[in-house]
Amino acid sequence: MKTLRRLLAPVLACASLTLATHDTRAAPSPQEILVASDAVRNPDFPFGLTNTLTEYRQGKQTDSSTLAIYSRADPNGGQFRSLVRYVAPARDASKLILFNGKDLWFYDPASKASIRLSPQQRLLGQASNGDVVTVNLARDYQATSAVEEDTQDGDRQTRRSHRLNLAASTPDATYARIDMWVDVATARPLKARFYADSGKLLKTAYYRRYQSVFGIQRPTETVIIDGLEPDWVTVMRYTDWVKREVPETWLQRDYLPRFRPE
Amino acid sequence: MKNTGSGSPPPQTSLPALGLIIALLPGAGPVAAQDAELDALQLADTAPTEVQAPSDWRRFVEAGLGASHLRSSGDTRSTRRLSLDIQYDHALNHDWRVLVADRLDLGQPALRGREHAINTLKEAYLSGRLQPDTLVDLGRINVRNGVALGYNPTDYFRAGAVRAAVSISPASLKENRQGSVMLRGQQLWAGGALSALFSPGLARQAEPEGLNPDLGATNRQHRGLLALSQKVGGFTPQLLVYQEESLPTQFGFNLTGLVTDATVAYLESSAGRSPSQLSQSLPAFAPCRCSAWHNRLSAGLTHTTAHKLSLSAEYHHNGGGLDADDWRQLRQGPPAVYAAYRQWAATAQEMPTRRAVFLHGVWQDALIPRLDLSAMHTLDLTDRSQRSWLEARYHQGSVDYAVQWQAHSGRPTSVFGALPDKHGWQLSLRYYF
Repeated sequence: MKTLRRLLAPVLACASLTLATHDTRAAPSPQEILVASDAVRNPDFPFGLTNTLTEYRQGKQTDSSTLAIYSRADPNGGQFRSLVRYVAPARDASKLILFNGKDLWFYDPASKASIRLSPQQRLLGQASNGDVVTVNLARDYQATSAVEEDTQDGDRQTRRSHRLNLAASTPDATYARIDMWVDVATARPLKARFYADSGKLLKTAYYRRYQSVFGIQRPTETVIIDGLEPDWVTVMRYTDWVKREVPETWLQRDYLPRFRPE
Repeated sequence: MKNTGSGSPPPQTSLPALGLIIALLPGAGPVAAQDAELDALQLADTAPTEVQAPSDWRRFVEAGLGASHLRSSGDTRSTRRLSLDIQYDHALNHDWRVLVADRLDLGQPALRGREHAINTLKEAYLSGRLQPDTLVDLGRINVRNGVALGYNPTDYFRAGAVRAAVSISPASLKENRQGSVMLRGQQLWAGGALSALFSPGLARQAEPEGLNPDLGATNRQHRGLLALSQKVGGFTPQLLVYQEESLPTQFGFNLTGLVTDATVAYLESSAGRSPSQLSQSLPAFAPCRCSAWHNRLSAGLTHTTAHKLSLSAEYHHNGGGLDADDWRQLRQGPPAVYAAYRQWAATAQEMPTRRAVFLHGVWQDALIPRLDLSAMHTLDLTDRSQRSWLEARYHQGSVDYAVQWQAHSGRPTSVFGALPDKHGWQLSLRYYF
């Protein structure tokens, strides 16, 4: 029963949001919309997936990486903790990164060294740590407003959306401010713009290629466009989703040298 | 511009100026941005769909070519090297796996003594899971503790581990070394772990022969280590207890913390009663003062900028090393005694003197994508000798191209001034297959 409730949670979140949007007396709050869009992006149980990143500059592919990601939500705060293992390229294969809030560790099996990272140290070219691993935005950001408007989604279709304005509400937040467009009817995240403290646009992300994953439609691709250099593009494709145990004991530095993919 | 012959010439507007005018038109900025995003999405439509499968293997060959300026003769010596490095990690079943890591270096001139070919069996062990949170390993394992970059007092298994030093970079010294034969167990719990290992003495003498597994270098005496980690708030301190046959117990400590979102601070320390390094290297020359308490530590900060530049600064203290007076006396004493002490310190990967400062910088994607620039500088505070190292590494596809430069300066017989190479460089090409 508990499992069923967990599986149905995203569906129920979307359904309640849809019903709420048709009832002007009980319009969902901006934060409720954000929570519902998180539920579309992220399963609410431990899982694994493969993230293939392809980077382009000036129209040409310049880099490619494949990561195996294992995620589990923190029973206390609800934020995801993740273990990331490089699958490719060969020079990085089997390197590990542990994301546990601001407790970040990098492990290189060649040198056997476990190195503490600061949140500023980025995992891959353009993608920030928060882009690569699973993040519940509602845990780190407060949605302060929701404006209904038309917007183009990642498939170049016009969608009726809520434009949410998100402000960082915890020290773990990667960005100072985010504008996020969420489909009014389905609570699907469509796109987001991420800003620095200074107000500078850092990047734009499109969530697209919706497919059925664990029973609901979820985005299986994120396209990240650099704010300053729009011809710097990173495509992240998610495949091999699997519901799996990610034991609490894995999420610590001392386990990294012993990690073995299953 | 052709003259139209109609009186005043038409306004000449260059393309860049025209672009500027269009960009300044109301609404042009968002439109241009929208076009750029549409272009990006179209580009993303073409992204490859195949997904790389994990491999049990990680293999590369590396060829190196270099030259160094010899301090003693003033001659230039050329060097050539070819290396093969393999790592194999295979699951036998759900609970057991086998791991092998090996490296073969071929060098001209000889890499060590008369050895032109040196094989380093880095690891070969069986790893199993007895219970979900109880793990055990048996075989030759490269155990490495410590959180600092340049000097690791809690890296208790580093002595005798390096067979062929192909680079002085800390990463290379940690990668290209042999493990010790041991039995290791680990119990995990949420936020903490306890590890225990026993490494038996298997051979009393190191084997200089290049292709020998050289158990005498790493398993000369019985050794044991306990390591306890427990997350406390935002910190995960690690406590270590190390025991080596016929030597007093050593107590280690590792701690890291976040100063800001861009800065990590770390402290690594080992302390205990022990003979001085001089006594250990020359028991006949310097009688053992076993009751002396010695502290060794590395303390440092790493700061990362928004442009992927990470800068580290460390202070190194070795209480077992020689202070300024003892170091001066040794340098002025019999050369054979001095040479024996330096040889012991090099094998043990221990600082000969008491204090040093270490600076390290890495700039990823420097200037152009996939170019990494690294720099390292060590200043010995006892005799003011210095070592500098620079590397530019460019990686594309399966190939790494690297150029390294290093220099040693200081008075003769100082820590770095005594090294045979005054300065030198090396080009290398690495191919992953």
